[in-house]
Amino acid sequence: MTARTGRPLLYLSYGQDMALLNTSAKRGWTLVLAIGAVALPFLLTDDLLVVLATACVASIGAIGLNIVTGYGGQVSLGHAFFLGIGAYTAAAISGDPDSTRLIGFGITSVPIWLLGAGLVAGLAGLIVSPLAARLRGLYLAVVTLGLVFIGEHIFKHWKHLTGGVGVGRPAAVPELFGIQFAVDGEVFTKAQKLYLLMLVLLVIFGVLARNLVRSRVGRALAAVRDRDLAAEVIGVDVTRYKLIAFAVSSFYAGVAGALLYVMIGFVEPGSFNLALSVQYIAMILIGGVATISGSVLGALFITLLPRVTRELPAVLPFISSSSGSGGITVFQVETILYGLLIIGFLIFEPRGLFGIWNRLRTYWKSWPFSH
Amino acid sequence: MTTVAAPVTMATIATRVRDRAVASPDLIALREKDLGIWQQVSWQGYWDTAELVGHGLLALGIEPGDRVAIHSENRREWLYTDVGTVAVRAATVGLYPTNPVAEVGHLLRHSGAKVLIAEDQEQVDKAVAVDDLPDLTHIVYVEPRGIRNRYDDPRLLAWPDFLALGEKHRQAHPQAVTQRMDESRADDVVTLIYTSGTTGPPKGVMLTAANVDFAIQELIERGGFTAPPPSPRDSVLSYLPLCHVAERIFSGWFGAGAGVCVHFAESIETVATNLHEVQPTVLFGVPRIWEKIAAGVQIRVESADPVKRAIGGFWLRRADWIGDVLAANGGRHTAASRAVYAVGWLFCYRALKDRLGLRKVRYAASGAAPIAPEVLRFFMGLGLPMHEVYGMTENTAVATANRPGRVKVGTVGEPHDGVEVRIDESTGEILTRHPGTFAGYWHDPDATAGVIEPDGWLHTGDVGEWVDGTHLRITDRMKDIIITAGGKNVAPSEIENALKASPYIKEALVVGDRRRFLAALIGIEPDTVGHWAQLHRLPYSTYGDLSAKPEVIALVQTVVDEVNVRFATVEQVRSFRLLPKLLDHEDGELTATQKLKRSAVTNSFADLVESMYAGDAR
Repeated sequence: MTARTGRPLLYLSYGQDMALLNTSAKRGWTLVLAIGAVALPFLLTDDLLVVLATACVASIGAIGLNIVTGYGGQVSLGHAFFLGIGAYTAAAISGDPDSTRLIGFGITSVPIWLLGAGLVAGLAGLIVSPLAARLRGLYLAVVTLGLVFIGEHIFKHWKHLTGGVGVGRPAAVPELFGIQFAVDGEVFTKAQKLYLLMLVLLVIFGVLARNLVRSRVGRALAAVRDRDLAAEVIGVDVTRYKLIAFAVSSFYAGVAGALLYVMIGFVEPGSFNLALSVQYIAMILIGGVATISGSVLGALFITLLPRVTRELPAVLPFISSSSGSGGITVFQVETILYGLLIIGFLIFEPRGLFGIWNRLRTYWKSWPFSH
Repeated sequence: MTTVAAPVTMATIATRVRDRAVASPDLIALREKDLGIWQQVSWQGYWDTAELVGHGLLALGIEPGDRVAIHSENRREWLYTDVGTVAVRAATVGLYPTNPVAEVGHLLRHSGAKVLIAEDQEQVDKAVAVDDLPDLTHIVYVEPRGIRNRYDDPRLLAWPDFLALGEKHRQAHPQAVTQRMDESRADDVVTLIYTSGTTGPPKGVMLTAANVDFAIQELIERGGFTAPPPSPRDSVLSYLPLCHVAERIFSGWFGAGAGVCVHFAESIETVATNLHEVQPTVLFGVPRIWEKIAAGVQIRVESADPVKRAIGGFWLRRADWIGDVLAANGGRHTAASRAVYAVGWLFCYRALKDRLGLRKVRYAASGAAPIAPEVLRFFMGLGLPMHEVYGMTENTAVATANRPGRVKVGTVGEPHDGVEVRIDESTGEILTRHPGTFAGYWHDPDATAGVIEPDGWLHTGDVGEWVDGTHLRITDRMKDIIITAGGKNVAPSEIENALKASPYIKEALVVGDRRRFLAALIGIEPDTVGHWAQLHRLPYSTYGDLSAKPEVIALVQTVVDEVNVRFATVEQVRSFRLLPKLLDHEDGELTATQKLKRSAVTNSFADLVESMYAGDAR
């Protein structure tokens, strides 16, 4: 069945029809992209690598949100809550067991605390999902908003777990096969190692998500999104799939939360607020709703944005880099930019960066016709 | 017949398929799309099923010389049946899927078919609706939907049951089919091909095993069309009716004779998509298909966004020039045209050909009806090796062909090797003589005697002339030549094809026999004219409404004026009327191969014709 016909559209099997890399052009460019991504640590400075590593982690979180909101159509403002659960579960599992102030189990192996964080967050998602099964649209958004406030309250007051406001606790310790990722090594620096680790994890979770959404589950989710009644009529168990969407999405959020603070090495309980949720919504809106690669693009974009705005004071003198010196600060510019970008994308390119990419691709694919 | 009957064991398509199954059992012979996936059949599988069909036919009591009819779109079962039938020394009769009940009745009755393989409920209904079919004992249906458990006609038999019958017969008599094949003789009639019949009822052309063998050797094995000859590395798309001799050659015999992989199109509507998927290496089309593709390209480039329109339009104009250069050089590039083509390939032609499904085509041919030279040049300019070929059912489609590298646009090419072609001095009629000349019309010796001379020369009914002593140019069908009231002989098809080369014109019929001037009935192409009307904000409802718009008449007038410039005064179309409806096979205006039936059309639109000559005394 693998006979090469030299005709990419002549599908001889469903496997070929469904293949992710079904044309030689796709295979080639993916290889180029992979080589480029692996070569980056040797080309960029460490501070940029840290930003990119953060972007990889944010991508995993954004993919999670895109599964429930983009594919499943369930608007969730509670992503920060699940990120928080993941972050603290991972921190607790890998934390210092001898500490009297904080909970800690001393298991620093990445796969264990990563899965732990994902599973605990997924469980939390499963617990709140019955709400989602009964609510839709705005009501669901408000309920998930409530989750963020409950979460913020718990994180601030459960000092044994989180260290409390203004104090915080060390983030999870990344260690795999005896390699410590969060310290500089002889060959690789900390930033290089972390970047590569996050890149590999992003690839793993990205491919997993892509496989999920192009299979039965993904099709069922899309059906629920487009019209839940119609989906039910064609035999999709709506409740079940909403449940799956929330659980998987929360799992991804938990994983992302666990990794997000590894770069800084420190978790502050005040960070899991509505602004964080909105940031993730911005990622998927700007990147592209209901696309995996769009989630990655959006996360890269939003994570790299502060890097760019920080350069602004040098170019535009009326923007100051710190508050109190009059004028408008970079942080304010950043917030304004978020707002403008979201408005701009929703109006002009609702399918996000991925939509732009898609349009470019279609333009060349349909050459020399228009369609 | 001119052939000397070989003693015994004739090479037929059945022996050829069997030999391929032995020599290359695992190579792919057939592909057919089923639920989105191209299902493959190896040569082994092809022969196995075809042999099974042969056993099934034996079980149904088919004797040598019996007829087996097939009424189906192109699909694997068509070829299985064809090969299986030939294996048991019976003759295949193909019926066009579009044939209406009356014609189905005539063909089944006239051919005396014993077994009918019907594709689906539609075709079964047609056969069942015909009463008086004494010879027909079995109707095998391929698609059971709507038939199984609903019909109680005792003649009905499902395809799987038919194969099961064959399997049982194979177990009881394992050598029965082989034995029949060994007995096959050169003068066995292997197929009855009913000619489309632009005049009168269809006539059944008897082709013998020797005819088919000659055609396969001449056209395929000796590379009468393609250079180099076709091989298992080639692929074709089977989309024209297999009952027509051209498609039988290009998909049935190219497969059996050269191992070419045959892909079946899903239907005539999906040809564009299927071409894009399959990207065949050898492609045969009737003029109508080529005209439609060319019109589609022009319309789609015109309606593209400004940048693409500018670039696409620029390269299409270059393609016109390249086409002219190629046509002037027999299909070969000059250094300049090759350079222009290389750049254009990068910017336009590669992508364009890929979109059309023509990117891998190494040999393209047009035949079965005359085609306008502009259309040929258009495709040559896009880099498609385009060849006009000529032949007819009665000579097993072996007559002349433009050979790669020696193309003369406007001619139908040079006679094949070992084929005698001459032009009758008095009438200008083209005559051919070779071993592929048919054995006669089925049950019609008078008609046979009318076309075959005692010394073997076949009257083609076409008028032609030699160009440069090597290439043959066809003027027209003999009976279509118009003699105007002024006594001038005019070949209408040339004018009609020039008109039809316009993307806006689908059908054109020039009249004027014994009249003072020529006039034309013109049918517009609904897609392109509809698109044009949209662009010009011209609301319309139906085809008839669109045809009646003064703006559309003015549009056609510009086309007619452009064409008139190229012809002598007597050959100019002075008046025309637009047909108020699309011509249709069902209404008897077109043949099954979509050829215009001149007399039927002029009769049904007699008032339109008269209105053009109103006030003009004969």
